[in-house]
Amino acid sequence: MTTLTLTNLAKRYSRSVWGVRSMSLDVKDKEFVVFLGPSGCGKTTCMRMIAGLETVTRGRIILKGQDITDLPPKDRGVSMVFQNYAIWPHMNVYDNIAFALRLKNVDRKELNQRVKKVAQMVRIEPLLKRFPGQMSGGQQQRVALARALAVEPRLFLMDEPLSNLDAKLRVSMRTELKTIHQESGATSIFVTHDQSEAMSMADRIVIMKDGEIVQTGTPEEVYFQSANTFVAGFIGTPPANFFPVEWKNGKLEHPRFQLSPPPALHQAIENHGKNRLILGVRPESIQVVREEEALFIAPVLVVEPQGSHQIVAVQVEDEVVKLIMPPACGVQPGELLPLTFDSTRLHLFDEESQLRIPGY
Amino acid sequence: MTIPRPLFQAAQKTTLALLVTTVALTILFPLFFLFTFSLMSDYETYSEWPKPLWPHSQVRYRMEKISPQTTRLLIWNHGQSQWQPFGPEHIEANEEVAKKLSRFLTNYGNTTLSPSEILSHVQKAQNSGFHEFTAQKSLSQNYQRFFRLYSGAADAVLHSLSTALLTILISVVIGGMAGYAFARYVFKGKDVLKLSVLFVRMFPPVAIAIPMVVILGRMGLYDRPAGLSLIYSVNQIAMNIWITASIFMGIPESLEEAALIFGANKRGAFFRITLPLAVPGLAACAMYSFISSWNEVINALILTQFRPTFPVVVYKSLLGANAQVHLIAAGSIAQAAPAILFTLIIRRYLLQMWGGVKV
Repeated sequence: MTTLTLTNLAKRYSRSVWGVRSMSLDVKDKEFVVFLGPSGCGKTTCMRMIAGLETVTRGRIILKGQDITDLPPKDRGVSMVFQNYAIWPHMNVYDNIAFALRLKNVDRKELNQRVKKVAQMVRIEPLLKRFPGQMSGGQQQRVALARALAVEPRLFLMDEPLSNLDAKLRVSMRTELKTIHQESGATSIFVTHDQSEAMSMADRIVIMKDGEIVQTGTPEEVYFQSANTFVAGFIGTPPANFFPVEWKNGKLEHPRFQLSPPPALHQAIENHGKNRLILGVRPESIQVVREEEALFIAPVLVVEPQGSHQIVAVQVEDEVVKLIMPPACGVQPGELLPLTFDSTRLHLFDEESQLRIPGY
Repeated sequence: MTIPRPLFQAAQKTTLALLVTTVALTILFPLFFLFTFSLMSDYETYSEWPKPLWPHSQVRYRMEKISPQTTRLLIWNHGQSQWQPFGPEHIEANEEVAKKLSRFLTNYGNTTLSPSEILSHVQKAQNSGFHEFTAQKSLSQNYQRFFRLYSGAADAVLHSLSTALLTILISVVIGGMAGYAFARYVFKGKDVLKLSVLFVRMFPPVAIAIPMVVILGRMGLYDRPAGLSLIYSVNQIAMNIWITASIFMGIPESLEEAALIFGANKRGAFFRITLPLAVPGLAACAMYSFISSWNEVINALILTQFRPTFPVVVYKSLLGANAQVHLIAAGSIAQAAPAILFTLIIRRYLLQMWGGVKV
């Protein structure tokens, strides 16, 4: 069942400045959707329009069958967690959480129960009498979450809620947020520019660029079926490597190698009918092999140990190509590595449109 | 040649210390001077030199027998450390003279002695040749006399207070609203407008005195606290706009947005979230408005006639041949005290920060 529908939603700040150009999206009930994109791509603007903090230039927002495009924020039944938490410094934690409930004239007993319940959910019960100034960033974050959960919203919005936390806390909060989402079952939209955050939390990722949706899909879809070079180059740590290639005599030709694609891909390229292509290869799809099986040989530039694996940067022509190798494999900078591709995991894009070639 | 670092640092510290001391002294010394003078009697003010740093709380008198019928009164001069004649050359022991002397001692010695007390002292001097006694000096007497002597001073305090409170009300409300607009909204010519509100402060009041009088006269507000507070507010609003704009800019907009999302309308968000957070800043505005209105003389001199404000009364007391320094000092302290008191009270709100959060 659909909870939220956006149709051709657009926001124009001035004559030539667009926040969001056109967005159409369906969010299903209890779904956790992440808006992902580089800064300035319009993801936050879109969220603020859904919340009612920005006026809408064009398009409609439908929430549970009700057109909320022009409603004031308080009548939309949405709640939001802000990037800087935005908890009120002159109220203690209890009052912060109870604010919305008091305005709705919830009776005292139920109010108390609900505050206790959400405080328990985010584990801040002992802090209810404290003021925000006396708490750490992580605790403030939890208060903001509790406040947003207390109203039992129809839609739960989160605007880069983890970006102000330190790296370790951020990772643990991810898990906790996901747990809380599963517990509360609230339909959620989460905005972030951190692709690993998006991958680890989302049911569905909406990747945005320049105010438009580039691709919508599950984390697996956007990773393995990236819609264009932008997505492939944005998702993944490190992201995909690109090689400009030419389709010639049934082979993909690069100055350094010639590659015969598997039959399905061969057919797709033939159907596409264009010669100038871009080959995208994920770092883990590049394999180190014996010299006689190698597609090409490249010198190692840098080795970045990560513990569980190593990221090795090699030079191919003028490009730096990154691949993932098991730990302690003893690769040194300057060493020549014989490399090949996992031909079942190749991505091919049209050079002109940058779009993925359909049909494989 | 380079100056050695320790020497340079020592010089820096010394200069800073000197500067701070100078500033402190220039503020504190006049206040202290006036305070000391406001507690002195006429005799101490005009006949004792050097002045004591701290005024004496008692006056020492001595009665000497001149003849069986007459006595004379001497007073201890702290400056010259000797007895000096005080008052009439000789005192006869009768009711009429005692009454006169009692009044004299009140006015010139700030001591209260009843005629019967004086007669008993005279009697003692007559018995043993001389008689010394001390009398408690009344410390509030100069203040009382100031308000009695300069008629209308008490009313003037009321006028000043109502002017100041009206000024606070008008300038903080209007200045605060404008400051909020400058902080939150984007509109054309915002910077120019914000700068131009300061222009009203550039006109010397004397230059626009006549138009002010005429306009206030037509409005029926000439010689009234309300009219005066309007004039003060014009200046003060400009200042308050700048102060409040920076305060509202310091309060993150997302706090208000959160309130909007969690069920408040725009007005509710302002009154429940922004206003409480802005209280320290608004208190500073109120303090500034109060002090500038309370101390203002020139406009008040021009725009009042029968209902002067207190600074005007103090100013007028300085004029004329009958000026008495110790009384004027009392008036000045009476003028300064409420401003100081108000500052001290409101200072608590300035320092009030919720849970250590900077706002």
